[in-house]
Amino acid sequence: MDIQAYIQSGIVESYVLGLANAEEIAEIEQLRLEYPEVNQAILDFELSLEKQAMDNAVSPLAGVREKLFDRLSSEFEAEAPVVPINEEITATPVIPIQPQTSRSWKWVAAAAIILLAGSIWMNIYYYGRYQKTASDYQALVTERNSLQANTDLYQTKLREMDSSLLLMQNPVMAVIKMPGVPGKEGNTATVYWNTQTKDVYLLAAKLPTPETGKQYQLWAIVDGKPVDAGMMGNCNGLCKMKNIPHAQAFAITLEKEGGSPSPTLSALYVMGKI
Amino acid sequence: MHYLTVVPDQKKYSEADLVVALKARHQSAFAYLYDNYAGALNSVISGILPNQEEATDVLQEVFVKIWRQIEKYDDAKGRLFTWMLNIARNTSIDRLRNKDYQHNQQNLELTESVYESGVTQPNIDKIGLRKVVHLLKDEYKILVELSYFEGYTQDEISKMLNIPLGTIKTRLRTALVQLRSLIKP
Repeated sequence: MDIQAYIQSGIVESYVLGLANAEEIAEIEQLRLEYPEVNQAILDFELSLEKQAMDNAVSPLAGVREKLFDRLSSEFEAEAPVVPINEEITATPVIPIQPQTSRSWKWVAAAAIILLAGSIWMNIYYYGRYQKTASDYQALVTERNSLQANTDLYQTKLREMDSSLLLMQNPVMAVIKMPGVPGKEGNTATVYWNTQTKDVYLLAAKLPTPETGKQYQLWAIVDGKPVDAGMMGNCNGLCKMKNIPHAQAFAITLEKEGGSPSPTLSALYVMGKI
Repeated sequence: MHYLTVVPDQKKYSEADLVVALKARHQSAFAYLYDNYAGALNSVISGILPNQEEATDVLQEVFVKIWRQIEKYDDAKGRLFTWMLNIARNTSIDRLRNKDYQHNQQNLELTESVYESGVTQPNIDKIGLRKVVHLLKDEYKILVELSYFEGYTQDEISKMLNIPLGTIKTRLRTALVQLRSLIKP
């Protein structure tokens, strides 16, 4: 192929000016890759065409630039850093781009203020919610603690009752019922006496609450004489008393706190024989 | 025209940088593009559309197309300006054709009026490339006018002027080679 003749045929100009048909376009785009001189001829003509147009530029009407930027304002992406365009230059023939930028900044600022206000409101709202939640939580913790204390208390009581039940069911246990003596008929108490170990347990089923400074004292009647069998303390279920090797009867009197060496017979409440 | 003389003071983009910045949708790149090329593209458009209002309208449309289609620009196929020039020419011819079509329904029968509309517009003859085209011999001038400035295919021109297609092709090629030597700096 005579490449110079090809270049001089006017095909280069047809191609650049957009007058070539599809077949011609395909051919020249192939040839420009193979022959640098074809490519160079294309570039040369492009450049002279560009220069010709630049040299003969016709300033557009003043409002065009502004309208165009208005129309495309939403399509510009933020750029950082902004490339400044010399204002002296743009000021002469063209409308400055300031209005568009300041307008878009106003929108941005307005949006930022709205977001900030929203954020502050949410902070206040959620702080209030947090405060309430924190105090609710405290209340729940307190309630849980008191429930736990109650549960512990009941568990302790239950354990004592449990062991009391076990003791009472023991077949070696002798049960001595002590009804109220004349004048104290409404009262009753029971002694559980282990016939093997000789341990004594008292179940104060029905005795009036002693006045302050007073305490119930259990006596074992051994060969007609009262023997101290211990003070009735603050226990649930069965109260373990002193070990009594043998006795014929048990009785309870109300004595001063800490007990007396001998029973006050006028304050005798209940009594039962074995 | 005035501002072209101060362009060298402006921040200068290489063509490749400008394309990158345009594809990144930078407003400053678009401003640079407009400030540097609006006049040249306006002369191309005004060469085809004599009505200033219409030319202004098309100029805006052209810049919107450039902005929105910049992704399609392939620098392996040619310079940025050549690509923009073709957008400007095609958009202008579309507008011209729409108008022509609305004004006269016959279209291809309009040999005489089309021919005359090309050569009797006094303003157009003084604008840009068209000014150079008018330095060509009449038989060449008419072919460049009809094909480049009015967008007719060579087949259409052959029928319009009643000249064989082969002759149209050869003459148009010769006209373009002459045009090249006229605009060569």
